Amino acid sequence: MSKSLSCAFIRKFMMIGLCSFLVLGTAGCASAKRDFQTHAQINDPLEPFNRGVFAFNNVLDRFLIEPVARIYNAMFPDFFRDGVQNFMRNLRSPLIVGNNVLQGDFKGAGIATARFAINTTAGIGGLIDVAAAQGLEYQPEDFGQTLAVWGFGDGFYLVLPLLGPTTLRDGTGLVVDAFADPVRLYAFNRDEEWIYYTRGLVEGLDTRARLVRAVEDLRRNSLDYYATVRSAYAQKRRALIRDQNPDKPPMATEQYGEFDYYDSGWE
Amino acid sequence: MLGVTATGRFLIMTVLAFMALSPVAALASDAYVGFVQKMGDQALTELTGKEISDSEREKRVRTMLRQNFDVKTIGQFVLGRHWRNATEKQRTEYLDLFEDMIVTTYAQRFEEYAGQQFKATGSQPASSKSKDRIVQSQVLQKDGPPVKVEWRVRDFGGKPKVIDVLIENVSMSVTQRADFDAVIQSGGGKIDALLDSLRKHRKTAKK
Repeated sequence: MSKSLSCAFIRKFMMIGLCSFLVLGTAGCASAKRDFQTHAQINDPLEPFNRGVFAFNNVLDRFLIEPVARIYNAMFPDFFRDGVQNFMRNLRSPLIVGNNVLQGDFKGAGIATARFAINTTAGIGGLIDVAAAQGLEYQPEDFGQTLAVWGFGDGFYLVLPLLGPTTLRDGTGLVVDAFADPVRLYAFNRDEEWIYYTRGLVEGLDTRARLVRAVEDLRRNSLDYYATVRSAYAQKRRALIRDQNPDKPPMATEQYGEFDYYDSGWE
Repeated sequence: MLGVTATGRFLIMTVLAFMALSPVAALASDAYVGFVQKMGDQALTELTGKEISDSEREKRVRTMLRQNFDVKTIGQFVLGRHWRNATEKQRTEYLDLFEDMIVTTYAQRFEEYAGQQFKATGSQPASSKSKDRIVQSQVLQKDGPPVKVEWRVRDFGGKPKVIDVLIENVSMSVTQRADFDAVIQSGGGKIDALLDSLRKHRKTAKK
């Protein structure tokens, strides 16, 4: 993607994102209604369009991305692939710290800062996650989660070409994160955009390669793969927004606060 | 009963009567963790071997499923609002097909689980209103990070049974419910559309 093209794309995306803020605001207020439909599902008014993009992504995945991910898994040993993941995560640290601060989660910001300091030095530029062994676990944060903490609702479900499932809110967050991303700022300032795009590719490959078994399982065992992925995505995001980690109460308790998905889900 | 008044005696008798009536004392919270640990250990020893034939593995999965899970409660939750509209005949066939789907799915999964370890770590109430408990556990893989698995366990008259499994924060029941709901909706709201789809899945899922 050339610079001008990508800028136009991003600007357009940004506009959509900003316009949607008003819509999201009202959705956020309405989300006080605690029932199964609003908590376990994402509103999907664009379903026909989303299904089209989803089908396209799936074909691309089966013929190109999944085979590459499998080759990557087979070619490189665990420690190498873990190193790649650690390095990529470490590069995200400034964004995680920033989002933690915006969410008012100063403990989280402190942990992410400490992780960055320890892993960049003792972890040899982020290749080894030394901090996790010290009890400082990786906890991803992004601007979509920040918006959610601020009270914005999902908006609606959105499947993006290549990038996959997101929502209006989380997609907006994606754009904001991309703008604030130090790696992008560094690469674009030095006219070395390839750094930014290579990072994106490697991150995508790492993520996909780790999901090989899970995706295979989901495809095989769902009747409507699209609906299954949409539900799983909704649940994963809800958990991330609530900052799930092993020390905190389990998902079923925490996910919806006082709301109990199981006892409320009969109608 | 010296010195006990008539009212006092009546109270004692009422309490005794209630104790006799209540079927079993409620399960202790430790019992939930022990139940899940035992089930996990049994599954890993009996279901994972490569030498077990597919049909034998499916048979064992079905037995363990019926022993440790309440398939009817799960199936009813998964069907959600459509359960109410289903006829008795449809419900019976649905539960049958649903059980088969779980059995084939997990029989295939357990084939790959050899060499893993399972640790139930603790439990807590599912919510302030619910009597269910959530048992936390970790599956330690040979390669890769531990997988977080949570079990929602309900007390059925003194017998603990699993009614949901959450893998890395994703509820299997909620996900399956979204799946089935989509099939019913695209089939014009008819439960037969789901039964049809499940029948087809049963045919293709068999190896």
